[in-house]
Amino acid sequence: MKLHSNIHDDISLKQFVIPGLTRNPAFSWIPAGVYPVLDTGQESRVLDATNVAVYKRIRFVISNLAIAILNGIVWGLIMALIALGLNMIFGLLHIINMAHGALYMLGAVVAWYLIEVTGSFWIALIIAPLCVGAIGLIIERGLIRTIEDKPITTIICTFGVMLAVQQLVLMIFGGSPRRISPPVAYRFPLFELQYPAMRIMIALISIVLMIGLWIFLRKTKYGLWMRAVVQDREMAVGLGIPVNKVYMWTFVLGSALAAFSGVLAAPIVSVEFMMGRDILIMAFIIVIVGGMGNLGGSVLAAIMISLIQGIGSLFVPPSIATVFALAFMILVLMFRPQGLFGE
Amino acid sequence: MFIQKGKSFSFILVFVFILLVLIAFPFFVDLFYQTFLTELFVWILFAISFDLIFGYTGLLSFGQALFFGLGSYTVTISILKMGLNTELALLLSIIIPMIFAWFVGYFSVKLTGIHFVIITIIFAIIGNIIGETWTAFTGGSDGLTFSPPPFRLGLFKINLMDIKGNYYFVLALVALSYLFLRRMVQSPLGKVFISIRENEDRARLIGYNVQRYKLIAFIIAGGLSGLAGGLYSLTLKYAAASYLHWSVSGHAVVYTIVGGMGTLIGPAIGAGIVMFLEHYLINYLQATDLVVGIVLVFMVLVAPKGLVGLIQSRFKKGEVSA
Repeated sequence: MKLHSNIHDDISLKQFVIPGLTRNPAFSWIPAGVYPVLDTGQESRVLDATNVAVYKRIRFVISNLAIAILNGIVWGLIMALIALGLNMIFGLLHIINMAHGALYMLGAVVAWYLIEVTGSFWIALIIAPLCVGAIGLIIERGLIRTIEDKPITTIICTFGVMLAVQQLVLMIFGGSPRRISPPVAYRFPLFELQYPAMRIMIALISIVLMIGLWIFLRKTKYGLWMRAVVQDREMAVGLGIPVNKVYMWTFVLGSALAAFSGVLAAPIVSVEFMMGRDILIMAFIIVIVGGMGNLGGSVLAAIMISLIQGIGSLFVPPSIATVFALAFMILVLMFRPQGLFGE
Repeated sequence: MFIQKGKSFSFILVFVFILLVLIAFPFFVDLFYQTFLTELFVWILFAISFDLIFGYTGLLSFGQALFFGLGSYTVTISILKMGLNTELALLLSIIIPMIFAWFVGYFSVKLTGIHFVIITIIFAIIGNIIGETWTAFTGGSDGLTFSPPPFRLGLFKINLMDIKGNYYFVLALVALSYLFLRRMVQSPLGKVFISIRENEDRARLIGYNVQRYKLIAFIIAGGLSGLAGGLYSLTLKYAAASYLHWSVSGHAVVYTIVGGMGTLIGPAIGAGIVMFLEHYLINYLQATDLVVGIVLVFMVLVAPKGLVGLIQSRFKKGEVSA
C-alpha cells in the first residue's frame, strides 16, 4: 500500500554522502544515512566555513527541505480538493462515499483520453470534471437516492460502485500505469536544485477552485440552500428549499471536485485504475482530522498531513512516516472524533 | 430457511446431507475443482466469521483482512522460519489474530458507525504497510512460499501436500467452525449480539455492557478470520502482504450481502455463488470484479437481506396465503 504520493520520490538526502567526514558519535545509534540532517559529522567542522563539503551539504539539506515543503503544499492542495468533495457529501447527505477515490481516478483517466485526442491539458481540466460530474449525477439519482437513510447500506453500495468503476477502467484503459506529460515543462532553480513550475501552477489552480467553491457557498442561492440544509434539514424543507435537488447537486459538485484533483494529480503521479483506492483512505483521514462537515478544517488538515508526510519522509522511510501518521489518526479518532479543528 | 430454532432435526439432516455431498465431491471432479472448492471453503469461513460481527452484532468492519493476513502469516512463518508443526501453527493462527483483535477491538468498539469503519480500515492499512516494508520477515509483496508438514492428531494423519487431503482437512475445519458459530449465535451470548445490533441503547439499558460484548464478538470473529487465513496459506502454500490489504475484507462484505447477513448460511451461499460466477466469467471477462460490484449494488438496492432473506420472505408470504 502506498499512502504517500510519489510526489516525494524525487528527493532523498541519502544520496548525498560526503567522503572523509566522520560520523557524529552522538548519533551513532541511528543507522547511517537515515538521519542525515543530524548526522553532519563533527560539530567543529559544521561551524568551520572553510569546510566546503559541510557547507554544501547544508545547502543541499535546505534545498531538499524547501522542495519537501513545496511538494507538501502542492500535494496537500490536491488532497484538499478530494477531501472537500468527500466532506461536502458527508456533511449534507450524511453518507460515506466509498466510490470517491474511484471518481478521482476516473477524472485522471478521462483526462488522459482527452489529452490523447485534443492534446491540451487545459481542455481536459475543464471537460473531465464535467464528465465525472455527470457520472456522479447518475450514481446519486440511480442508487443513493433510493437508500439515503441507511448509512451502512450506502457504504456497501458505494463500495460496489467503486469495484465496478475500477474494473470497468481496467477493462477499457488497461492495467498498466500511464503518464501525462506536464503542459508546462519549465523548471525554476531552487537553491541547489530545480523545481517544476507545473506544480506551482497546479497549486494555484487548486487555490482558485477552492476560492470559487467558497464564493459559491457564500454568495449564491444554491450555496445558501446547501448551508441551510446542513444546519437543519427539516427546517429547510419547511422553508421550501428543494432539498432533493440540493442533494443531487452537492453530489455532482463533490464528484467534480474529485475529478478536478484527479486531473491535477495526473501530471505528478501516474494514471492507473488503482490510483484512487488508497487515496480514498487518505481523504477519509483528512476529513476526520479536519472534522466531519468542517470544510475549512479539511483544507487545513490536508496541507498539514501532506507537509508532515513530506518532511517526515526526508528523515525516515515514507512508509514508516505513514504508519506514525496513521497511529496519530487512531488517537484523533479516539479522543477527538469531531476533528482537531472542531469546537 | 432451514436454520431456525426448533428445527434442529431438519437442520442436522440437511447439514449431514450437504457434508456427505461435499465429501463425495473429490471422487467426481478433477484436481482443479478440488483446489477451487478448498479455496471456496476458506472464503466461506472468512465470510461467516465476518457475519458474526456484521450480520449479528452490526459492526461493519473493513479490517478483517488484518486478521486474515495475520493468520496466514502466522502459519507460514511458524512453519517456514520456526519449524513448528502444522497443528501448533494452526492453533497459533487462531490465537495470535485473537490477541490482535483484542488490541484493535479495544480501540474500535468505543466508536460507532462511520468512525468504526474507518478505524478498522486504518488498522488494516498499518498491518499492510508493515507487511510490505518488513520484507526480511514477511517477504513483502513477493510473499513467502513453504511446504507444510503433515497434520497429526494422535493416530490421525493428513498429508497437506496432497490436494485431496487438504480438501478434507479444510472442509472438516470449516464445517466445525460453522457448527461452532451456529451454536454461538443461538446461545444467550448470540442473543445479546443480536440485541446490540437491533438497538444498542436498549441493550445498554437492560444492563448489558455493550462494548464488552462487541469486543467479544470482534475477538471471536478475528480468531476465525485468522483460521481462515491460516487455512488459505495451507491450501496455497503461500502468504503475502497483499492478504493484509483492507480491500480483502471486501470479499467478506460482498459474500455476506449477496447471501444475506445475519443468517450464517447466507454468507456461505453468497461465497459459493459469487466465486462460481467469477470462475465462469473469467473466461469472457478479464475484470470479474466489475460483475461482482454490479451484483453487490443490485443486491443492496433490490434485496438488502440477501438471497436467504429473499427466500425467507417468499416462504413467509406462502404461509400467509396458504
